[in-house]
Amino acid sequence: MKVTFKRGVHLSYANKEPTKQLPIREFVSDSVQIIMNMHIGAPSEPCVKKGDYVKIGQKIGDAVGFLGIPVHASVSGEVTDVARIAYMMEEPVMAVTIRNDFKDEWTELNPLGSVESVDIDKIVPAIREAGICGMGGASFPTHVKLSLKPEQKCDTIIVNGAECETHLTADHRLMVENAPRIVDGLRAAMRALKVEKGVIAIEDNKPDAIEAMMRAANGRDGVSVAVLKTKYPQGGEKQLIEAITKKQVPTKKLPIDIGVIVLNVGTCAAIADAIIDGKPLISRVTTVTGCVRNPANLRLRIGTIVEDVIGACAGFSEDPGKVVFGGAMTGLCLPRLSIPMAKSTNGIVAYNEVESRSVEEGPCIRCGKCVSACPIGLNPYQIKVFADADKIEEAEKLRVMDCILCGCCSYECPSRRWLTASFKIVKQKLTLKAKAKGGNAK
Amino acid sequence: MSEEKKSLGKVLVNGILSENPTFRLVLGTCPTLAVTTSAVNGLGMGAAATFVLVGSNIVVSLLRKFIPDNVRIPSFIVIICTFVTMVQLLMQAYLPSLYESLGIFIPLIVVNCIILARAEAFASKNPVVASAVDGFGMGIGFTLALTLIGVIREIIGSGSAFGIRIMSQGYEPMLIFVLASGGFLTYGLLLGVFNAVVNRIGRSKGEGEGA
Amino acid sequence: MSLRLSTAPHIRSHASTGRIMLNVIIALLPAACAGVYFYGVPALNVILVSCAAAVISEYVWQKLLKRPVRINDFSALLTGLILALTLPPSIPLWAAAIGSVFAIIIVKQLFGGIGDNFLNPAIAARAVLLASWPARMTTFTAATCFSGADAVASATPLAVTENYSYLQLLIGNIPGSIGETCKIAILIGFVYLVFTHTVSFRIPVFTMLSAFVFAFLFGQDPVYAVLSGGILFGAVFMATDYTTSPMAAPAQIAYAVGIGFLTMLIRSFGSYPEGVTYAVLFMNILTPLLDRYMPNKVYGHQKAKEAKKA
Repeated sequence: MKVTFKRGVHLSYANKEPTKQLPIREFVSDSVQIIMNMHIGAPSEPCVKKGDYVKIGQKIGDAVGFLGIPVHASVSGEVTDVARIAYMMEEPVMAVTIRNDFKDEWTELNPLGSVESVDIDKIVPAIREAGICGMGGASFPTHVKLSLKPEQKCDTIIVNGAECETHLTADHRLMVENAPRIVDGLRAAMRALKVEKGVIAIEDNKPDAIEAMMRAANGRDGVSVAVLKTKYPQGGEKQLIEAITKKQVPTKKLPIDIGVIVLNVGTCAAIADAIIDGKPLISRVTTVTGCVRNPANLRLRIGTIVEDVIGACAGFSEDPGKVVFGGAMTGLCLPRLSIPMAKSTNGIVAYNEVESRSVEEGPCIRCGKCVSACPIGLNPYQIKVFADADKIEEAEKLRVMDCILCGCCSYECPSRRWLTASFKIVKQKLTLKAKAKGGNAK
Repeated sequence: MSEEKKSLGKVLVNGILSENPTFRLVLGTCPTLAVTTSAVNGLGMGAAATFVLVGSNIVVSLLRKFIPDNVRIPSFIVIICTFVTMVQLLMQAYLPSLYESLGIFIPLIVVNCIILARAEAFASKNPVVASAVDGFGMGIGFTLALTLIGVIREIIGSGSAFGIRIMSQGYEPMLIFVLASGGFLTYGLLLGVFNAVVNRIGRSKGEGEGA
Repeated sequence: MSLRLSTAPHIRSHASTGRIMLNVIIALLPAACAGVYFYGVPALNVILVSCAAAVISEYVWQKLLKRPVRINDFSALLTGLILALTLPPSIPLWAAAIGSVFAIIIVKQLFGGIGDNFLNPAIAARAVLLASWPARMTTFTAATCFSGADAVASATPLAVTENYSYLQLLIGNIPGSIGETCKIAILIGFVYLVFTHTVSFRIPVFTMLSAFVFAFLFGQDPVYAVLSGGILFGAVFMATDYTTSPMAAPAQIAYAVGIGFLTMLIRSFGSYPEGVTYAVLFMNILTPLLDRYMPNKVYGHQKAKEAKKA
């Protein structure tokens, strides 16, 4: 039986066609630039200096704080720079640049053996040491997700293979080509938390992935595959939980509060690599598509510069208007091509001049398409009125903080109103305000 | 002397334009909507109200030093009642057809808020002459507004003005304008137009003074 | 090379205001064609005049006020068309034009233009025409179907004691408003609207269900009640007007049930033979309240009772 959540939108996934049959291809560039804050939490502290020689998998950044994870060299070679670089739109970030000597020398690894026999107390620390964070986009450190407080209890781990975003096929290909690894990673997480039930959730537009995962899950304790209806944002954590468990995560709470943990397929594969091979997270699958000559699913070393990635796909096929990390519904625009991809970069999509044109806002005709699209059940048109008037308290009363910025309302709006964009700004303002209040109280 | 004249003139114009009871203060809307189905009705209602306004303003102003504060509203009402009764009897005697068509709205002038408002806000604080002028100005403003609404509704709704047919024989009157909803419609539209015009005058005056 | 920056989403659906309005206009075409077929050239003239007056008045108003001219979003054309289809074919052309001008200028533009009107412009204009020229609005000509027979004035099937057969009501070759009599054409339009995701099935279906149930409760023949008069046209094309109908599913159902109930209430106990116009207008006014008090449930905000159970 196919399951799904309430409302949402039906997107055209024609833009997945160019890459969904393409096997994952390895690409290694001459140099990588590895930034230190690829995860949520305090940035890692660089532990190498300019001129050092590093091997693949060698630690180059130490974890800082509970949320911190270490960072590892993704190529072997000489460290050419340790400095702050301009990254996306925020403050400059610390980065380590390594020139690749193509010797592909690995540092000494420490495999723990099969996921079914490994000492369960060693699993979570190994995941942290491997520098694994959520690879679906949010980059939340995985070891934190898997460290339960005494009062918390997990009964289900869901593996998110929905990949409901447009353009992206990285998770899809990973499931087709590397299914056993994903199941291994899930089993490791299940054993670490003594969870009986693991569900691999996949949308029904990926029958080959469903088949591969079912074959891999066959005979493994407690692991099953759930088929989801193809609908956006099916892969959103809250929506996925609603579809699989029929339960809703209470507002301002985490999935673990209702006994659920959601892991991305890429994350699961990385966990398996860390346990079975002892390898840290040094590469990931990224879909490169849009107006590039040879769209591809590439296994990229973490820190590969976007320009090199585009080069690996034979360059742009036409002048790009914008280049985006991630799919079309939630992706972030790149300010320039000289920045590196990170652990959470699941896709690099180039849009041509016409597709990038800014759309002009028309008047709201109260058609209600945003209301019937919102997977959370908000009234986007109403929140937008307050957002435009800068009445953020009123917007908060309409529960704008529950907005997941999925983009459904903007997508559906026949008047092309910038709904999601204004909610993002309102949410930032409200967060800042709450922080300021908290500071005053102290 | 000239100063006083000027201020009296201002008081008069005040009631017609910037504080027009119907279009600016939105007072006395009940008779406004109810009786303006024809121009004559509007004019008659306006005249009756003007008479009461002037009379009550004069008497209230004369008695303003003798009326104790606690009982001023009942006292005002009693004074207004007196004049309304006079109007009612006069109209019944000399204008029976108008009396018929205005009906209940003649005695209801007693509770017309314009009259009580002017007694309370102006006559009880100002000398007799100014109060009389204020009452007259307000009355004229009210009368003009009612007549205007009445003319428009009568022309569109019955094809005539002041009872004289002015539209051609083929004209089919738009009945809604003599119904209640037409009253609201006309009143609302005129309210908007009047305010737009007065605001524009005010703005250009303000700019003139500024320069 | 400079890259453009923007916030997600980077793609938009193909829907646009103009396309939506065009969809509704297309959905109205079967009903319009049926009307022209049954009632001949007068019906066509009413439709043309009403549409033209609506578009011209919107254009002139926006030009005069130096606002962006939005006649190319087809919303004015749609208003004119809906109005025309609710008029009797014998209506004088000047009355149709006045109705359109009223709908666009008074009901739509004075309240702020598209999206800001609190009443459905076409129906409000119809109500004004009904109040202004009641005789002209309730005199219907028999369907001649271009047979050359003289058009004879008669009353709507709701007002006469003589019964039409269900089949006649369904096909619509009976006296009535231009677009309201042919139920089959309206249903074709409804299927098109739902198929193109222009409107949800909810409002029309629940309006008809509620009309059926309340007609039965009020002691009428429910089948005859839902097949006669303008209830079907109202449910499909009037009640579903975006701006004046609620958005969330629960509110939409309440709104639809309200229209069905009020229509049958007015038909059974009121002094008018037809009640759709006033029922829809009344529920239009309630729309903001319904939107406010019957919204969708927000994810993760369980009610206290449910939370206890869980």
